Amino acid sequence: MSDMLFPLAVFFAAAFTNNILLTNYLGMCSFLSVSKEIETSAGLGIAVTFVMAVTTALNWVVYHLVLLPFGLEYLRFIVFIIVIAAFVQLIEMVIERYSEGLYFALGIFLPLITVNCAILGASLFMVIREYSFMTTFFFGIGSGLGWFLAIMAMAGIRQKLKTAKVPAGLEGPGIALIIAGFMAMAFMGFSGMIAIG
Amino acid sequence: MAKGIYKKTFMAPLGKDNPVFVQILGICSTLAVTNRLDNTLVMSLGVIFTLALSSFTISIMRSWIPSRIRMMVETMVIATFVIIVDITLKAFYPEMWKSLGPYVGLIITNCIVMGRIEAFALQNKPSLSLVDGIASGIGYAYVLLIIAFVRELMGTGTLFGFTILGDWWTSWAIMIMPPGGFFMLAIFIWIAKEAFMKEATS
Amino acid sequence: MNKDGFYALRIHPIVFMGIVTIVCVSILSALYLSTQDRVEANELFFLRRSVLDAAGITHDGTVDAVQSLYETSVTETDGKYRIDGNEDSPVTVVERTGPGLWGPITVMIGFSSPQVLSGISIVSQNETPGLGARIEEPWFTAQFAGKTGPFLLVEEGTSDASNEVDAITGATRTSRYFRDIVNSVVSDGPSIYGGQ
Repeated sequence: MSDMLFPLAVFFAAAFTNNILLTNYLGMCSFLSVSKEIETSAGLGIAVTFVMAVTTALNWVVYHLVLLPFGLEYLRFIVFIIVIAAFVQLIEMVIERYSEGLYFALGIFLPLITVNCAILGASLFMVIREYSFMTTFFFGIGSGLGWFLAIMAMAGIRQKLKTAKVPAGLEGPGIALIIAGFMAMAFMGFSGMIAIG
Repeated sequence: MAKGIYKKTFMAPLGKDNPVFVQILGICSTLAVTNRLDNTLVMSLGVIFTLALSSFTISIMRSWIPSRIRMMVETMVIATFVIIVDITLKAFYPEMWKSLGPYVGLIITNCIVMGRIEAFALQNKPSLSLVDGIASGIGYAYVLLIIAFVRELMGTGTLFGFTILGDWWTSWAIMIMPPGGFFMLAIFIWIAKEAFMKEATS
Repeated sequence: MNKDGFYALRIHPIVFMGIVTIVCVSILSALYLSTQDRVEANELFFLRRSVLDAAGITHDGTVDAVQSLYETSVTETDGKYRIDGNEDSPVTVVERTGPGLWGPITVMIGFSSPQVLSGISIVSQNETPGLGARIEEPWFTAQFAGKTGPFLLVEEGTSDASNEVDAITGATRTSRYFRDIVNSVVSDGPSIYGGQ
């Protein structure tokens, strides 16, 4: 595969075939608890996509320009989580001041995001897979969109499920996990589509 | 009385307050490695270590932490213990470190760790928090070990990498692939819930 | 002390956080520096073991055995490892990095003639644990030994001809990337093996 196409292939893989939620199980906690309603899912999904895209790129810069030159790469977990927490805090303050509507729509999700495994996970994957900046950028957006897609699909299915009769022991998270399993199988089907590889 | 509370603290996370199948917390970081029993075991030990010691540390500091920066301090302490696990694995069990990849680092965002600190360690004394941390860790670990046991056995016919089932066994590839993890966890939650519901009504 | 005063609200949290940070970072740095030697020793051990594996030399996997075998049989010249040893034909091992599904895969590939491989070993990879990461399992790498490239992938458990290798079920794309890396090295085989 040519170098030009590699970031795009990573973008596609991160969003579909190797969806960060459905193949790496990252971000499960908020996924299971929030996916009951479509609107809240959309809010959280957008917030995750945005924060993930920006923080993976930020963490790439911090890792390659600060941590590596000073030989501090063993501190990366702490530094990444601080970058994420600080960024989320900053966004919260900015939108609180300038856009009340957006604050009410997204504000409540922001604290949830700092402890969302998927955000930190994307940064750690980016380091371990030695991506270039461009690839990292596409990977961050792809992973975020993949997460958004998965939670929206799940919320839609769960809304239909409200009227279905589910065995008592499976109600709530149990049935959601089974649906997630089928969704994971469906998303794996996308792997046949990447013919450019 | 004093002894009773330790026992109660220890037993609750193993059964009716189990972090995985009752509270559905913190499956993110570890479910991904449950397709092999040895990886799961090491990750679980990492979670128990981090959970117990960060609960203990935060509980010692609980009266001095300014409440406004509580979360930051907690994250810092958790991250420190996770990095200790990471460095130790890298130095002494490098093969394991390589196969776990980024998942060790993801213990930081494991909701159980933060959850237990917020819900328990901030209100209780250090020794009790330590017990709660260990017990929550074990309650978490045994569920994942059972899942890993079934997934590895059915997915590859091996346990800890040793062949258990002979050539006659056709490996269920779906078990080691991601959907297998979702299905196993769902089935486990189902069985556990049915069992506890019976207990509650009888 | 005034609870709502400037100190309690602004300065104290910063000072406290600073102290916590300094303590944590010092502990970690001390631990990191004290394990540094071990980590380097491990890396050297892995490198040498990969060379021996790729050359098809059997060893018991202990640190001492790998070190003594390596020192007696391997000579390193401009990035290539030559093993003259007890075999009829000398073996040349090269290291090569190529793209995997998720990140770079680094392999050691040994040639016992310009086309025939003596073995393959994985130095590093980032594929999905349990799926693509199975390229590290011995059964997968062992099937290249003694075979002639370029290679074709066939379904898991069905390889038969001397240029066929089993792909990994559930990790078709990783298997393809891996085959491409190996085949690109094999196409350089004559110059790698011959250009001594």
